[in-house]
Amino acid sequence: MASLDQKSPNVLLQSLCCRITGKSEAEVAHQFQYAVRVIGSNYAPTIERDEFLVSEKIKKELLRQRREADAALFSELHRKLQTQSVLKHRWSVLYLLLSLSEDPRKPSSRVGNYGALFAQALPRDAHSTPFYCTRPQSLALGYGERSAGLSGSVGTSGISSLGVYTLNGPTPTPQTLLAGQPPQSAAAATQPLGSRLAWALPITSSPSSALAPPTTRPSLGPPVPSARLVRPRRDGDAAGEVSEAALVRDVLYVFQGIDGKFIKMNAQENCYKVDSKVVLCKSLRDTSSRLAELGWLHNKVRKYTDARSLDRAFGLVGQSFCASLHQELKEYYRLLSVLHSQLQVEDEQGVSVCTESSLTLRRLLVWMYDPKVRLKTLAALVDFCQGRKGGELASAVHAYGKTGDPQMRALVQHILSLVSNPILNFLYRWIYDGELEDTYHEFFVASDPNVKTDRLWHDKYSLRKSMIPSFITMDQARKVLLIGKSINFLHQVCHDRTPPGKITPASKPADTPKDAAELLSDLEGAFQEKIDDAYFDTSKYLLDVLNRNYLLLEHLQAMRRYLLLGQGDFIRHLMDLLKPELARPATTLYQHNLTGILETAVRATNAQFDNAEILKRLDVRLLEVSPGDTGWDVFSLDYHVDGPIATVFTRECMGHYLRVFNFLWRAKRMEYTLTDIWKGQMCNAKLLKTMPELSGVLHQCHILASEMVHFIHQMQYYITFEVLECSWDELWNKVQQAQDLDHIIAAHDVFLDTIISRCLLDNNSRSLLNQLRAIFDQIIEFQSAQDALYRSALEELALRLQFEERKEKREEEGQWGVTAEQTAEENRRIQEFQDTIPKMRSQLRILTHFYQSIVQQFLVLLMTSSDESLRFLSFRLDFNEHYRAREPRLRASLGATRGRRLSNI
Amino acid sequence: MASAANANLNAVRETMDVLLEISRLLNTGLDMESLSICVRLCEQGINPEALSAVIKELRKASESLKVSENCTN
Repeated sequence: MASLDQKSPNVLLQSLCCRITGKSEAEVAHQFQYAVRVIGSNYAPTIERDEFLVSEKIKKELLRQRREADAALFSELHRKLQTQSVLKHRWSVLYLLLSLSEDPRKPSSRVGNYGALFAQALPRDAHSTPFYCTRPQSLALGYGERSAGLSGSVGTSGISSLGVYTLNGPTPTPQTLLAGQPPQSAAAATQPLGSRLAWALPITSSPSSALAPPTTRPSLGPPVPSARLVRPRRDGDAAGEVSEAALVRDVLYVFQGIDGKFIKMNAQENCYKVDSKVVLCKSLRDTSSRLAELGWLHNKVRKYTDARSLDRAFGLVGQSFCASLHQELKEYYRLLSVLHSQLQVEDEQGVSVCTESSLTLRRLLVWMYDPKVRLKTLAALVDFCQGRKGGELASAVHAYGKTGDPQMRALVQHILSLVSNPILNFLYRWIYDGELEDTYHEFFVASDPNVKTDRLWHDKYSLRKSMIPSFITMDQARKVLLIGKSINFLHQVCHDRTPPGKITPASKPADTPKDAAELLSDLEGAFQEKIDDAYFDTSKYLLDVLNRNYLLLEHLQAMRRYLLLGQGDFIRHLMDLLKPELARPATTLYQHNLTGILETAVRATNAQFDNAEILKRLDVRLLEVSPGDTGWDVFSLDYHVDGPIATVFTRECMGHYLRVFNFLWRAKRMEYTLTDIWKGQMCNAKLLKTMPELSGVLHQCHILASEMVHFIHQMQYYITFEVLECSWDELWNKVQQAQDLDHIIAAHDVFLDTIISRCLLDNNSRSLLNQLRAIFDQIIEFQSAQDALYRSALEELALRLQFEERKEKREEEGQWGVTAEQTAEENRRIQEFQDTIPKMRSQLRILTHFYQSIVQQFLVLLMTSSDESLRFLSFRLDFNEHYRAREPRLRASLGATRGRRLSNI
Repeated sequence: MASAANANLNAVRETMDVLLEISRLLNTGLDMESLSICVRLCEQGINPEALSAVIKELRKASESLKVSENCTN
């Protein structure tokens, strides 16, 4: 007997059956089967597994029975038991003993009867529904475990508090019912009742009720006296007066939204009212109307779920919202069914047994307090969520959880976890697989099916601002959008078929509502981390693919080298080769000729060492020809972009590049032209020394040319160093640090915008650009003027030399060197030539004047410009204040700006 | 080894005594043998709620049996 060997439970049960009934094994077969069934169906206990609580209850029970000495003895024995380590489930044994205990001062037979009946009914009832046991543990929202010391009714989710409620509410009453059944005396009857209540409650509800009774509202203490107060009225039913029992029955129907006999829906006022014809005392009428509010609330919630649950367009989020409401209603119905069965039991017992434990309106009022609060919350939620769907709905629910009331928070949190589950599922599908299965447009990422793949990155996906749940920040939403977009971009544009699992190794798309709840409780931590991880991995992978397979960075550099004239030797050589072609009218240019020249230039310069992939894309493009254009005006380099890199180099970008190229090309051409001018001056200087009459004109030419050279040099310096290189450096740094494609695109856009505005190509500096163009035009004009000058001068020189030669030749032949006639003719010609010189001078003077006035205007504009680098450019252009001395406006504005700057300092 | 088993046996016996005493205090009506069976069942993780229900039911059954027997006698 002493050894606790491990026999199977069935064997033990059988011997127990034999032992208790005192029969042989064959005779107890029936009872044994019953026992096995009961034990098997109630495997998990519904009560707290806490030894301390059970022992406390035993002590309390003994004290209730006025057996203080025994209670002390029990504590002693319990302590002794605790020192032994033989038993593993001490609480279980103690609990068994406690539930088998009987008050010695009371006839045991009936108690045994009913005790058996209800003890068996209680757990079975408890297990017929999955929520009793599973919910409190699985829904560990606020607290990890329902451990002892924590009050269950406060800590767990909203549902569980209701579940507990149904447990501790009506179920103990059957037990109390029988306690008072054969009242020996008033004192004897109430006392065991109290004691039974006291222990029935804490076991079922929560440990806290034993430790701190006031925290559990549904304690059955208060209703007892109130029930007594009501009872006299109940017993002595006045003639027309409705009995309270009938009212209770009515109220129970009204709870489900069904009209009762006396309490009916008032269509006008839209509320439940006690029939005014019924004779009722005021307090009962008030109480029943207060209770009837539950019916109204129930109807409201019910109507919403009924209307919406069949509405397919309401979407998944809406459906899960309805489901969660339904769940709440189910809990509520469960409570009602328990109340009904209680009523049933009362009916079976007959009216005579209506004692303290029976259902009364007041008791209902107390019991229904919590459900009422919950229903109220639900009704408010339903009101608030009317007409919302998807993420908006989730936001609405989320907003409701911020009242500060922990119970309400738990309820809303539970609903929210269900509601947000579909959203989180969307989210995981999206960030791990890039798939968007959002039939009802509930997710906050929207996709436009009309957008082609070439604009996929820019236009296809967008954020639906209204659908972003309020618990997801804008930043997170943007990242989520980016992650899925990157995956889709990889698949559809880059044709990269890497399985998503490889991109983000920690993918775990299958998430249950429980996970959703966990995530919601830890939005800053785990959720953020998940999104960040996916974001970093995906973006990094995308950039890798773009750089590795599509040479994004190389293309970027190629843009700078070719379209922004970074590759100096190539550009110079190209210009050399193109010069004869471009001098012709634009209409006579042919693309294929130019393409050939381009290829020659590539082959002859360092450009040939570039990647073939890049050179392949380089091409010539002729702009639209307007009458009078020369080749210079329409020629342009082009760079073909397609595929993934076209996402960075969009059509607009290429348009910008084209404009910048044209500007730079023009500036470059000025430099080239001035070089030619200088070359001409140097070459001809010696030859023309023999014509002293030209020296003045040539001097003028030199002065003007060097003025222009200075200007163009400063311009080139500005463009190269202050515009291109600075911006490029910025761009390159940003690109190197970029975390996702959007960063690169943004940096590139900023780069282009900066260049456009600094190159005076934007709308604000149109007047500056016009001045600059005019200056360029003057340079071209000067070139042609000087060319004409040199041509006529050289022609004249050749003629003079010819004349001299002829003279010498004749003298050698022994004739007269010149005849008078010839000399006269020669002199006439010389005279004619000399006559043209003042014309040239004046032409040059006009040119100089024009040029200078334009430059002065340009400087004035520069001075007033808001851009600092442009103001510095003006200082450099006019470093010796040459123009300032001539232009009063410049002086004023220079002084003014300097004064302003000084005052600023 | 033997002494350890002996000590264990002693501990078990002591425990059972204490439990029997508690049972008596609480007036459960269990004798030593049924108590030991119950303890063993509890140790195997049986739900005590269910077990107490079974015991009560068994008692009721045997009582009614006795009553009917008495009547027939």
